[in-house]
This record gives sequence, C-alpha cells and structure tokens, in this order.
Amino acid sequence: MRRAGQIASLCFVALFAATAALATNYAFFDALGPGPGFFPLLLGLAGVLLAAAVFVERRRQPAGEAALLPERRLWPVLLCPLAGLAFVALALEPIGFRLTLLLALPTLLLLLGARHPVAIGLSAIVGSLGVFHVFYYWLKVPLPFGAALGW
Amino acid sequence: MDAATHLLGGFAAALSLSNLGYALAGCVLGTLIGVLPGLGPAAGTAILIPLTFNLDPTGAIIMLCAIYYGAMYGGTITSVLINVPGEAASVITCIDGHEMAKQGRGGVALGVAAIGSFIGGSIAALLLTLMALPIARAALQFGPPEFFALMLLGLSLVTGLAGRSLLAALMMTVLGLAIAMIGIDPVRGAPRFAFGLPELYDGVEFVSVVMGLFGVSEVLLTLERPYREVIRTELRKLLPDRVEWRAALNAIWRGTGLGFLLGLIPGIGAIIPTFLSYILERRLAKRPERFGKGAIEGVAGPETANNAYANSAMIPLLTLGIPSSPTIAVLMGAFIVNGLTPGPFLFQERPDLVWAVIASFFIGNLILLVLNLPLVGLWARLLYIPSHYLCVGVLLFCIVGAYSLKQSTFDIWLMLGFGIAGYLLRKIDFPLAPLILGLILGPIMEKSLRTSLEISAGSYLIFIERPLCLGLLIVTLLVLASAAFNLAPREVREVELN
Repeated sequence: MRRAGQIASLCFVALFAATAALATNYAFFDALGPGPGFFPLLLGLAGVLLAAAVFVERRRQPAGEAALLPERRLWPVLLCPLAGLAFVALALEPIGFRLTLLLALPTLLLLLGARHPVAIGLSAIVGSLGVFHVFYYWLKVPLPFGAALGW
Repeated sequence: MDAATHLLGGFAAALSLSNLGYALAGCVLGTLIGVLPGLGPAAGTAILIPLTFNLDPTGAIIMLCAIYYGAMYGGTITSVLINVPGEAASVITCIDGHEMAKQGRGGVALGVAAIGSFIGGSIAALLLTLMALPIARAALQFGPPEFFALMLLGLSLVTGLAGRSLLAALMMTVLGLAIAMIGIDPVRGAPRFAFGLPELYDGVEFVSVVMGLFGVSEVLLTLERPYREVIRTELRKLLPDRVEWRAALNAIWRGTGLGFLLGLIPGIGAIIPTFLSYILERRLAKRPERFGKGAIEGVAGPETANNAYANSAMIPLLTLGIPSSPTIAVLMGAFIVNGLTPGPFLFQERPDLVWAVIASFFIGNLILLVLNLPLVGLWARLLYIPSHYLCVGVLLFCIVGAYSLKQSTFDIWLMLGFGIAGYLLRKIDFPLAPLILGLILGPIMEKSLRTSLEISAGSYLIFIERPLCLGLLIVTLLVLASAAFNLAPREVREVELN
C-alpha cells in the first residue's frame, strides 16, 4: 500500500502542476484586482508542495500488508457495477430510462449473485417502471423517455 | 423573546400537512439509510437529494435535515444487532450495545438509545434556537476578509482532524478547492478550466462528486466485504428497569452536554463526541469493568451525544455557513441547489425557511422516537436484505440523482470517475471529507479572498489589520500546528486511528 500511496502522490504532483500551468492562461492580477487565474495558481502551487510532501511522508512509512487491489476472484464482481453504470450512461438517452434499467437491473443482480427469479423480476420492474413513475409523474423529476424508441 | 416569536412562526410552517409529511418521509428514509450497513449519512443524504428537486425549498430542506438526523439514529440498530456500525458515529455503540444484544437485551439497548437520542436532540435544538440569532447577528458584522479567515478556519478544523496524515488531508482540501475552480469565475463571470466542454461551464456538479466518492465507492467496498451475522435478540422489551434507567439517565444528561458543545466546533465530526462520552462514562462508573460487557451507560451516553451533536452541528452551518462534517457539507450543497446560501444573511433573507427548519428539528426528534421504539423489529428485519440488492438500489438512486440534476449523462460519467477515484483513495487512506468541504467552500472562499484584495487594492495587510480577521487566522494556525504536532488528546488520536 505504501507504493500505491507514493504513486498516487506523484500523480497529484502532476495534476497540481498542470492546474498551475493552466491557471497562467488566465489573468493573475488586473486593474480591478485579482483575476480568474489568481486563486487557481495559488492552489496549484500549494498542491504541488503538499503532494510532494505526501510522497516523502509515504516513503518513510513502513510497508503495509494490505493490497490496493482486491483478490483476483473479486475483480468481476467489482467491475460489474462500473460496467453497469457505463452501460446506463450510454443507453439512457437513446432507449430511455425504463428500458435501460429494465435491461441493466436484472443483469446486474444476476452477475452479483442474486438467484431468486421472482425477486430479480420484481426488483427490475420496481427499479425501472416503478422508479420512473414515482420520479417522473409524482416528483416531477425529468427522466428520459428514449429518443430512439419514443417510450 | 425574539427567538421564541420566530420559532412559533417556524412551528406554524413546519406543522403544515405537507411539511410534516416531508419530515416523516425524511425520518423514515434517514433511519433506513442508517440501518443499511455500508451506506453512510453523507452518501445517503446525497443520493436522496433528487427526491427534493421539485419540492419547495422549505419542504426540501426539512426533508433532507430529517434524513440526516434519521441516519444518525438508524446506525445504532446495526451496531447493536450485527456489530457493524451503520455510520461512523455508531462505532462505539458496537462495544456494549452488541454485548447487550448477545445477552438478550438488544431491545433495551435500542430503546435507551432512542430515548437518549430524543432527549439529546431536543435539548440541542432548544439551545440552537437560543443561540442562532445572536451568532447570526454577530456574523453580519463580518466583511469579506473575516469570511475568508472563517472559511480557512473551518477547513483547517476539518482537515486537522481528518485521517492519519495532516499533509494528505491538506492535499485533499486543496484538491477539492481546485475542482471547485472549474466553471464560471464567480467574480468576472468568464469560464475557466472547462476544456471547451459546455457541461463544465456550470462547474463540476457536487451531487455527482458526492455520489461517486461516497455512493459508488461504498458499493464497491461493500461488494468486497460481506455482511456479518445478525444476532437474534429480544426486541419486545424496550425499556430498562429502574436501576438501569437511573444509570442511563445520568449518562444521557452528560452526553447531551458533551455532544452539544462539541457540535459547535466545526471539524470535530460525530465520532469524537461519542467516543469521549464513552470514556467519560467509563471513568465515572463505580464499576468500570462492566464496560465492554453490556453496560447500559456505554450505549445511552454515546447515542445521546451523537444526536445532540447532530443538532448542534447545524449552528455553524445556519449562522456562519460553515459545514462541520461531510454530511453537513452535503446539506449545505442541498441548500445551494435550492438557491439558498447558508449563513447570517439567510436569517435576514429567508427567516421563514430558517425557523421552519429549526422547528422541524423538534418535530423530527419526536417523529424519530415514535417511529423507532415501536418499529425496531421492522428495522431489524431490513438487515436481512442481501447486499447485492442493496448495492443495486444505491446505484439506481445514484443514476437518477446524477442524471436529473442537469438531464445530462455527462454527470453519470463524472460520478463513475469519482466513484473509482473514491474507491482507490479510500484504500490508500487519503481522506475524502476535506475534498468535499473544499469543493463546497471553494467558490465562496475565492470570492471572499478576491473581494478582500479588491477592497485593499491588492494589499495582503487587510487580513492582519482587522483584529477579528487576525484572530481567526491565528486560531487557524494554532489548529494546524496542534494537528501537525499531534497535540489532540490521546483518546481522540486513538479513535481517529482506529
């Protein structure tokens, strides 16, 4: 875990350096006072110093036993929700909330280990049609109908 | 007198049928969030923000506040029955609460926690009523330099007590502030760091960030570590006997005082009041060896301190606009989503809303008591829900919340990215709370800093020449120095580390 912490702090050094560099594209000070680049530049520079200090701090730490990534057998389980979210982000506007969730929810439940068909079916219907009805019609929260299917 | 009149007006608004309904719904949902292990109050409150998008602001804030303190109580149930805290503040309740459950006294543990939470929460709400107006009036004298120094102090308090490493916490604060720079410049109105993406012109949506960092990452962590076994215990007998009651009542009074006082200090967090209450009870006990074996004071004191803290932590938010914890920061974000900026001006601009919300704290505490005592058995049954159904439910609410804010799938991608980042950052022990606070306070802080320098024609001496501002900056430095040199009490450091 110590190594992961070091790598992360180096990534943060790069991120904050990029922030400071980008901030120079905006005015630091002008006739009215501090410009749009003023605070971001200060933050970028402070971030670089802090991230470098974190790197040094993590180098001095004893190496822990805990691993950053889980056991290999758990990878598919952890990738399922992420893949599910990516699918929803891609499908939500073309095929609409109801159909997207009607497809995504039971698939996700099956992949995560749910085996009871009635519970899976009910969850899919409540989570897609039910949630759409509650949010769209009762709470007036706009959710997509689906441009491609018009449903 | 002034406060009493305002509070009566607040009760009139809060007792309307719709607002009562929102408070009830918030308490039920909050308790549900607290009960379900793995879903903390910050993530829970964030994922339920979409429910309030089309409510009037008063109803929306009443409901979200009820979710917050409902979640603070709900965590007790899992602590007692499965030895897993539903939220961080209930960690200490696991020790004696779970022991009581194993001895068949789980109902008494939950009963005394509900009564203590009610007493602590109600007294804290009463003190909030008395203190809110004077503090808000004093804060009206603040100019931009004082507000900047106050924000800096709030951030340093939270940062100083977050996680094991002060440097990592400071870095995460700066990261949050930097993310807040994306979007329209709050002073000149020109877009910054948007990379030509119109979706970023309004800035990074905090709801997507919170849902990703706390909701999606929590789902990933929950899938990695399964639940523990639920203890079957007596839940019909909820009230303690006379001897237990006497011991519990003393712990409840002490917990109320401790929780209330610590809630006034931004950055303390809910864990420390509960932990200190437990230590206090153990030190005052005639037979301290009972602690860890089912002592009722070990449940009554911390649970009361927890709810007293939850109510008094609203004082810095409502009067100064300073969030004390990640959950309060989420609530502050909800205020902003509803077009309201918490702080002293809110008492001038929307007194109707502020006092209705304060009145709703009293009503909410009563609802929680009525709801929790008879329904303990029902809440306990929810613990049998398999984790995959829970995880999919959380993801569903995250999707609705992220999408419906701007009707854009861009925010779902953003949430996904922050979810992965949150999972990795939590594993390498980089604290997330300072990031959220930095994100929320970033625009206000930048505006205060730049306006101060505009007033002073670019001279930084403005922060030193004004006595109040200088005082706040000195306190900020002292807080950071004490955190750097580990000057916090030994017990506090231990609880942070464990």
